[in-house]
Amino acid sequence: MNETSGVSKFIENVKSLADSVTGSIFRGGKPDTDKARASVVYNNFFMHIQSVKTHVNTLRPSYTLGLGLIVFFLFAFVFTSGIFLMVYYNPSIENAFRSVKNINHVVFAGKVIRNVHKWTGEGMIVFLFLHMARVFFTGSYKSGREFNWLVGIVLLILTFMLNLSGYLLPWDQLSYWAMVIVSNIMMSPKELTDSLGITKFLDVGTMTTDFVFAGLTPGKEALNRVYLFHVMLFPIAISIFVGIHFWRIRKDGGMTRPEEFTPKDSDKSYAPMSDKVGGIFPTHKTYGLMELATGKTRAVDRDVENTVMSWPNLLIAELAVLMFTLAFALIYSYYVDAPLKEMANPLIPENPAKAPWYFLGLQELLSYSAFMGGVGLPTAALIGLALIPYLDREQDKVGVWFTNKMGKRIALESFIISIICIIGMLVFAIKFGWLRSWFPDIPQLVITIVNPGSIWVAFMILWSLFTIKRTGSTRMGAMALFVMFLVSYVILTYFATEMRGPNWGFYWSKSQWPIH
Amino acid sequence: MSSEVHDKDGNVSRRDFLTLSAVGAAAVTGMGILAGVFRYAKSDARYEDSKVFKIGKPENFPVGTVRKLDDKKVFIFSDDAGIYAISSVCTHLGCVVFEMEEGFQCPCHGSKYNKIGKVVAGPAPRGLPWFEVTQDVDGSLVVDASREVPAGTKNIFS
Amino acid sequence: MHSRFYLSVMLISALFVMAYLGLTGYHALMPEWKQYQAEFKDTLVKNAKSEAAKKKAMAMPLGFTQVYLSDLKREDRCVNCHAGEDNPLMATAKLPFKQHSGNYLVNHPIDKYGCTVCHEGQSFATNKKEAHGLGHEQTHWDHPLLPLKYAQSACVQCHDIAMLSKNGGEKVAQGEALFKEKGCRGCHKVDGVGGDLGKALDGVGYQPIAYFPMKHVAGEHTVYNWLKQHFDDPRAIVPESAMKVKLTPEEVDLLTTYVLSFRPDEAPRKYRRIDYTSMMAKPDGETLYKMYCVACHADGTKSLYNEVFKRTVPAITNPSFLKTIDDKNLEAIIKEGRTGTQMTAWNKTASGLSDEQVSGLIGYLASKRPAGPMETFGLAAFKGDSKHGSEIYEARCSVCHGKEGKAGEDYLGISLRSPVIQKKIDPEMLAVTIANGRAQTPMPAFVKDTELLTKQDVADVVSFIKEIPVAGK
Repeated sequence: MNETSGVSKFIENVKSLADSVTGSIFRGGKPDTDKARASVVYNNFFMHIQSVKTHVNTLRPSYTLGLGLIVFFLFAFVFTSGIFLMVYYNPSIENAFRSVKNINHVVFAGKVIRNVHKWTGEGMIVFLFLHMARVFFTGSYKSGREFNWLVGIVLLILTFMLNLSGYLLPWDQLSYWAMVIVSNIMMSPKELTDSLGITKFLDVGTMTTDFVFAGLTPGKEALNRVYLFHVMLFPIAISIFVGIHFWRIRKDGGMTRPEEFTPKDSDKSYAPMSDKVGGIFPTHKTYGLMELATGKTRAVDRDVENTVMSWPNLLIAELAVLMFTLAFALIYSYYVDAPLKEMANPLIPENPAKAPWYFLGLQELLSYSAFMGGVGLPTAALIGLALIPYLDREQDKVGVWFTNKMGKRIALESFIISIICIIGMLVFAIKFGWLRSWFPDIPQLVITIVNPGSIWVAFMILWSLFTIKRTGSTRMGAMALFVMFLVSYVILTYFATEMRGPNWGFYWSKSQWPIH
Repeated sequence: MSSEVHDKDGNVSRRDFLTLSAVGAAAVTGMGILAGVFRYAKSDARYEDSKVFKIGKPENFPVGTVRKLDDKKVFIFSDDAGIYAISSVCTHLGCVVFEMEEGFQCPCHGSKYNKIGKVVAGPAPRGLPWFEVTQDVDGSLVVDASREVPAGTKNIFS
Repeated sequence: MHSRFYLSVMLISALFVMAYLGLTGYHALMPEWKQYQAEFKDTLVKNAKSEAAKKKAMAMPLGFTQVYLSDLKREDRCVNCHAGEDNPLMATAKLPFKQHSGNYLVNHPIDKYGCTVCHEGQSFATNKKEAHGLGHEQTHWDHPLLPLKYAQSACVQCHDIAMLSKNGGEKVAQGEALFKEKGCRGCHKVDGVGGDLGKALDGVGYQPIAYFPMKHVAGEHTVYNWLKQHFDDPRAIVPESAMKVKLTPEEVDLLTTYVLSFRPDEAPRKYRRIDYTSMMAKPDGETLYKMYCVACHADGTKSLYNEVFKRTVPAITNPSFLKTIDDKNLEAIIKEGRTGTQMTAWNKTASGLSDEQVSGLIGYLASKRPAGPMETFGLAAFKGDSKHGSEIYEARCSVCHGKEGKAGEDYLGISLRSPVIQKKIDPEMLAVTIANGRAQTPMPAFVKDTELLTKQDVADVVSFIKEIPVAGK
C-alpha cells in the first residue's frame, strides 16, 4: 500500500484525461497508414457497414450517380426536420391546422423546416425511382442481388406510405380531399367483390379502410391514427429495411461492376496513398480465412488491384453527396413553399379533388375503373417489378449500362413506342370515351376488366414477351417492360397533374381551368 | 492529410490554411445551427394572459381596498400612500400564498411573509415581488407583472 | 490526392448550404413585422411630449405579441404592426400605426376583443399579404379584411339591431330595415321563415368563398364583393337568377353590410349583449305584408307582368279582388300557395309563418276591402252543364288560361289546375270572378255590363273548371 504513488497516479490520469478520452474514441490516432485507414472503417460504428477497400468503379460518379445515397440522406433530412415539426405539431382536428399555421407564421424558421420536410419527403420518391432505374439499367439486380432488389421494392412501398400518411396531417382542404380519394381507393376492392357478389363474406375494401382511417372517411380518429403511422410505424420500418438493404450490399459483394474493368485516367485520382509504415494489404492476392468459407465469395478472385482504401476516398464521396443533397434541399425549400389551403371542410369538396401527385397516375387509371386503377394494376406493377430478377436470370454483362448495344436500342425503341401508345390511348379515351359511353348498360365487371389501364398493362406484357421472342434474351424483355413502366408512370402523373381540371375534365393547362 | 504533400513545401501552408478555414466554417455553421435549434424551440406565440394587464380606473380602488386577482395571481392594495400590487406567488416553489392578519402565508412549505411581502419564516429565498403600477393614457391602471419595483413603492393616481 | 470532382462538389455545395442557412436565419430573425415595430418605436419616441413618455417609449421592448382570446379561439397578431391602435399619441400617425378611429375601443378593449372579430383578416398570419388575406387564390383565406364601409356587419354578433340603430351601428340597422322593406323574405328563408324561391340566407355572410360562384365577380373574389355586385345586378353574377332588385348604390352597401352579418355561429355568451325582448316585438299586418309579399306583388293595387317569372302577378290589394274573395278563401290561397306559380305556401311547415302572422296578413288585406256587401253570384241556384261549359271555355277562356286551364309561361291568366282552385276555393268565388271580372287586371267581366254570357253559361263554365284534372303537387 503506497498511498502517495496512488495519488500521483491519479493526478497523472487527470493530466492525461483529454488525451485518453480522445484516444478511447479515436483508437488509431491519425490514419497515416493503410492499416490505420482500415481500422478507422471497421472500428467505427457508423462506417463499419462499409468495406475497408472500395472498388474504383463504385467511386465513379457516372456509375451510381450517387442516387441511392441521395435517397438515404433525404430520409435523414426528413427524419430530422420531422422531429423539429413534432415540437409544434398537434394531431387533433381542432389544432392540427392551427399548429401548422403557427409553424408557418410564428415559429422561428418554421416555414423553411416545413418546406424541407415536405420537399425532401417527396424528393425521396423521385430519387428512389431514379435509383431503381439506375440499378435496373446497370443490371445490378443480378448475380446474388435478387433479394436486395426485393428489399428495395419494399422500401419503395414504405416511402410511398410515409409520404401519403404525412399528406393528411396539415388537415387543410388539399390534404383532406386527397385523403378522401385515398380512402375511396382503399374501398375499391368492393367494386370487384360487388361484381362477384362476395362482398357479404369478404369485404376487403371496408376492412382496410376501417383499419387505416377508423371509419370510411377521414375524421377525428383517422388523423390520430395516420399520425401514428407517419411518425412511428413507417419511419421505424424504413430504418430497419434500410439497414437490411445496406447490409445486403456488403454481403452480396458490394456494388456491381463490369466483368472486364479497365481503369480510366480519371480513376487515378483515387490512387492508393503511400504508407509511412508498411501496409496490411500486400500487393499479391490474399486468401486467408476466406478459403474456409463455403460457396462463392465474391471478393475473392476479383481485381484487388482496382480497389482503393475507403478512408478517405469513399468518405469524401459520401460527404460530397451529403452536402450536395443538403444544398439542393435548402435551396429548393427556400424558394418553394409547401402548400397550405383553407382548413379542411367536409362540406366543400375541392374540385378537382386530387390525390398527392405521386398517386395521380393511378388516379388517372382510376377514372376508368376504381378497382383496376387503385388496387389491381398497382399490385400487378409491384409484383411485376419484384419478379424481374427471378424471371430474367441472364448473368452476363452485369454492371454495364444497358448491357450492350442491343439493350440501348431496345430501351430507346420501348421508350418511343410507349410514349406514342400511352398518349394515343389517352387521346382516344378523352375523345371517344370508354365502354360505358357506348353501351350504357354494360356490366361493371366488364369495365373492371377491360379498361384503358388494364389494356395498357396487357400491351406492356405482350410487348415484352414479343421482345424476348425477337431477341432471344430475357434481359431485353425486362428492359422493354421496365422502360414502358417508367414512361407510363411519368406521363400519367404529368397528365393527371397538369391536364385534369374540375370534374376531371381535360384542359391543356391549369391556366384554362374555369373559375368556379 | 498534409503528410503526403510535405515534399512540396509551397503547398503545405496553403493546404493547412484551407483545412483550417473549412473546419472553422463548419464549426461556425454548426454553432449557428445549434443556436437556431434553441431559438426554434422557444415558442413566440404565448397562449397565456398578458403579463401586462389593466385593472380599471383608480376610483375603483378607494383607500383600504384589498383585492386578490386570482387569475392574475396578484394582490392589489390601496392605502393612504397610494396603490400597489404584490405578487401572490410564493418565491420558494411557486405555490399561491393567501392573506392573513399579519401578512401572507404559503400553504405548501410554510413560508410566511409580512405585510410588505418580506420573508419572516420558512424556506422562501426572498420576499414577494412588487409589480409596477402605472396609469395608461386612457386613465385606467396598468399592472406590469414583468417589471418589479422596490418593496414599498406606492403611487397615488387620480 | 483525392478526387477533385468530389472535393469540388463538396466545397461548392457547402458554400451554398452556408449561404442559404444564412438567408434562412436572416429571414427568421428579421420578419416583416419586426421592421414595422422598429419604425413604430421611432415614431413613438419622436411623438413623445414629456421626458417620461420618451423614456417609456425608448424602453418599449421589440418582440412578438399576440392577443389570445380563449373564448373566441382566436389569436390576433395584428398588433405586431398595428401597434398604436389604443395610443392617443398616434392619432395623426400614418397606417399601420394610427390610432383606432371613433370611440369603439373604449368599450371593446383590444386585449378582450382583438381585431379580427370586427375586421376579419387572417389572425394567424404575420405578414401583410396573408394577414389581410386578400387574393384568395394565393392566401387561401376565406375571411379577408373587411372594407370599413361594411365593418358594422360584425356588431350584430353581439348586439341587437334596436340598440345598434342608435349607438354606432346605424348602417347595419338601416340595412336591416331595407331587408324588411324590400321583402327579401318573400323568397329567402332566414331562421326557417321565408319563401323558398331563393336560397336560404342563414350564415350566408360568413360562408367560405368556395360556396359562391365567383366566375363573373369583378375585382377581388370576396363574399362582400359577390354580395355587392349581386345586389347591383343579380343576373350578371348568377345568370339563372330570378332575383329582382332595384337599389341605389347606397342601399346596395347598406344591404351588403346587413347580409354580411348573417353568421352560422353565435358569439360566446360572455360577449353577447343582445336584448332579445326587442326582437320579440310582433310585426303588424302592414309590416308583414312588406316583409313577405311586397317583392312580388309590390303595393298590390295593379297586376304586374313579371319578366323573370314570365307570368302575371295578381293585384291582391285591388278592391274588386277583395270584394270577390272572403277571408276564408284568402287564407286558403295564402296557406296553400298556388302550385305551378311562384306563390309560396305560407304555412308553418312550408315557410315557417305562424297562423297568427297569416291572420295578421289577412287582416291587413281585409282592411283594404271596400265597405259594403261582398259581391255574390248565387251559384247554388244553377245546375251546371260541364259539356256546354267546355265549349264556352274553349272559345272564351283558353286564350288566357290555356287549354284545359293549363296556363303557364306566356299566358296572361293563372293556371286553373292548381289544387287550391280545384279544392279549396269556393266555386261561388269563381263564378263571381267570371261574371264580374277583375278590375285593373286583364280579366274581363263576362256578365256584368257586357252580358257576353248568361248566368247559366257561367255556372256551366264553373262546373267544367271543377272537372279539370288537378295538377300534381
